[in-house]
Amino acid sequence: MTTHMTTQRDNAGGSSFLARLGNLDRRWIFLAMGLSIAVPILLKLRFPEYPSPMSRATFDAVESIPEGAPVLLSFDYDPASAAELQPMASALVHHCASRHQKIVFMALWPLGKQQADKTIETVLKPFHPEYKEGVDYVQLGYQSGNEGVIKLMATNIPAQYPTDASGAALKDLPLVAGMRDLSSFKLIASISAGYPGAKEWVQYANGPMPDAFKVVGGSTGVQVSQLLPYYPHQMEGMLVAVKGAAEYEMLVEGKYPIAQPEVIGQGRVRMGPQLVAHLLMIGLIVLGNIAMVAGRSRGGAR
Amino acid sequence: MNASNTDSNRNSPAPRYTLLWISLVVLSGSLLVLRAAMAAQGDGGAAAADPAAQSLWTTVGIWTAAILTIGVFSFLYRDNPLYKVCESVLIGVSAAYWMVNGFWTSLVPQLFGKLMPGLVREYALPSMPVSTTPGLDFALACVPLILGIMLVWRLAPKGGWISVWPIAMIIGVTAGLKLVSSIESDFMAQLGATMRPLVVMNGGFDFWGTMAALVGVVGVLTVLTYFFFSVEHKGAVGKTARVGVWFLMITFGSAFGLTVMGRITLLAQRFEFLFKDWLHIS
Amino acid sequence: MLQRTIPIAILCLSGVIMIVAYFVSFAVSWSETVNVWFNILSAVAFVLGAGNLLAVNLEKISSRRPGWAYAAITLVSFFFMLVVGLLKLGAVPDPKNPLVHFAGDYETSASPYGWMYEYVFSPLTSTMFGLLAFYVASAAFRAFRAKNVESILLLGTAFIILIAQTAAGIFLTGWIPQDSVFAVLRFDSLKVGITEHIQTAGMRAITIGIALGVAATSLRLILGIDKSYLSKN
Repeated sequence: MTTHMTTQRDNAGGSSFLARLGNLDRRWIFLAMGLSIAVPILLKLRFPEYPSPMSRATFDAVESIPEGAPVLLSFDYDPASAAELQPMASALVHHCASRHQKIVFMALWPLGKQQADKTIETVLKPFHPEYKEGVDYVQLGYQSGNEGVIKLMATNIPAQYPTDASGAALKDLPLVAGMRDLSSFKLIASISAGYPGAKEWVQYANGPMPDAFKVVGGSTGVQVSQLLPYYPHQMEGMLVAVKGAAEYEMLVEGKYPIAQPEVIGQGRVRMGPQLVAHLLMIGLIVLGNIAMVAGRSRGGAR
Repeated sequence: MNASNTDSNRNSPAPRYTLLWISLVVLSGSLLVLRAAMAAQGDGGAAAADPAAQSLWTTVGIWTAAILTIGVFSFLYRDNPLYKVCESVLIGVSAAYWMVNGFWTSLVPQLFGKLMPGLVREYALPSMPVSTTPGLDFALACVPLILGIMLVWRLAPKGGWISVWPIAMIIGVTAGLKLVSSIESDFMAQLGATMRPLVVMNGGFDFWGTMAALVGVVGVLTVLTYFFFSVEHKGAVGKTARVGVWFLMITFGSAFGLTVMGRITLLAQRFEFLFKDWLHIS
Repeated sequence: MLQRTIPIAILCLSGVIMIVAYFVSFAVSWSETVNVWFNILSAVAFVLGAGNLLAVNLEKISSRRPGWAYAAITLVSFFFMLVVGLLKLGAVPDPKNPLVHFAGDYETSASPYGWMYEYVFSPLTSTMFGLLAFYVASAAFRAFRAKNVESILLLGTAFIILIAQTAAGIFLTGWIPQDSVFAVLRFDSLKVGITEHIQTAGMRAITIGIALGVAATSLRLILGIDKSYLSKN
């Protein structure tokens, strides 16, 4: 009995903090993650950004096409990914509009059309009032078919889009009236969250016509691994997650200032919570491993 | 916090906790209502000049979005009826959204617009271009119409096997598209991108450029060796495959780091909505 | 024949047309027509999905299975969105054709459909995905264990990328001059080296492997060797 009581006392005392840590209720972790994001947002933490080679390559790709040339912007994402991708889209539209590019909007995701409309309403119309629909920009909207849409547009745009999103015939819109296929564009940019997206644009547009236009992409952090093999030979530039968005915003605003910087500043705003949350992630992984080692040595000591 | 909420928990200290939660909810709700009322009055001048700010439907919308957001977040504590309601609404709304979108963007202009162009032009798309070959368009549009009916027949209690015909067409088109594109963009182009000069000269010997080229070639070859499962991974092949595994571990570690950034951004955006658009405290 | 031979023939023909169009110019118009049919069928597939949703939820309600009330909520929200969208109720009239009801814009937030998208659908999908951040943290705490060389490599790389992506990377190593020999130890240089060289090499090999797999599977389907899509009946 004495031995049993001693053993119990040892176990009670030895039921150390680290052992309890290994069994931590995950809701404490959820709370820590929530606070690590909420507090920096409330405190408006901001940090400087230094452009990476990929973001600079994207900026340079847009700068390299002739001013006034037509570009195709494909909004291949939905509201679930808008937090990462909308900042890229806004900066890209402002960049193209500042260079007076003719812009054709389209979407391979059903909800992408709404994201494009939102960008037109918040960036294009207020800050580039000289842009006229049908003449300087066209919203083609969404069409079902995934990569089939790209494949058909590669040879016959009017067959895929007989009308634009508002129902106007393409032949009545000066910007796109003479466009036959994708070679009419100088740049194709896909802001993509998954399938279909930038990968399909490389496969079905750049593949058959590698020299006809430049392809750049913006993608979520999750998807970027799939796109890395295409950079830089098949995709001239790539914006990687919200960090790429923040870097690109900085480059665009540096050369083409905008009256309300917050319109193309959401990427930099969302980088604020990243520092604390990332340090929390590292801390959690380290703690988990410490708990594992402590558990092992307790087991060995027994 | 305890992971389990058993009946025993509910009986002993539960009434105290229930009272605490009710008080917190009532206090928070009162603060929010007071805040909303003060916001409407406080910036009444500016708000009155901007009709959107005072729009009832916008206010109802923001509150609806906030309640739905909190409902989904409540799942983090535990599964509950509010979360289940949010989930059910999402399923119903998203299914309808995709269907409506597909109908108006694809079926109306590309199918019905070819089958009955006059009707579509009169009632839905007045600016739809007039075809120079209406007869041919009609005949060609009959094919997807029939195939579409066959596809939907899958839901019928009898004769659902006929849906295999349109499914076969979908699979055939996809296979045909992917066969050429994957070989062109994902095979030949990737091989071309790998087969670059190993010794990089940039006005002189470029050490880091050469290292990068070597890493690229060694990485691709060793990872491909790892995936070659028809040869046993022993000896030289085994050692090569092991190096490939190291490359893969670095690849996945980097992918994890990028994924974390993406997930955190999604959460940050929801918090921004709650603080800025709903509570006006940021 | 109806259930096996004809579907195989349809698959083979449509696949061959798409392949031949890449190489023969006169087949391009055929592939465009087939492509349009494919895009229409993709839209019809949404109807199929909605029909399946109806069937499952109606069965749940009629048999009063546990949670049938939630199935009812699903159907109510489905039908509301469907009716409002298909009939374009409350749509903003098209300025060029104000008398044509179905030409109106039903997606603007001034319409009920647009309102549902803006304040119901969009927040719900965004928040569902936002939950993943919490689960990533929990999974990292419970599952990421440095037990061997490979896992240490994985975790070490993850730490470098996590730090390099934030201001911490600049704070820790930003003082190292860009043109010095030790510039390669800067976190931003490490990140570029990892993502643009090592990760790219790994993903390139995976991409090549996937491409070969896709090509093989597509050929098997088009040649009729793989018939797994056919009905069991």
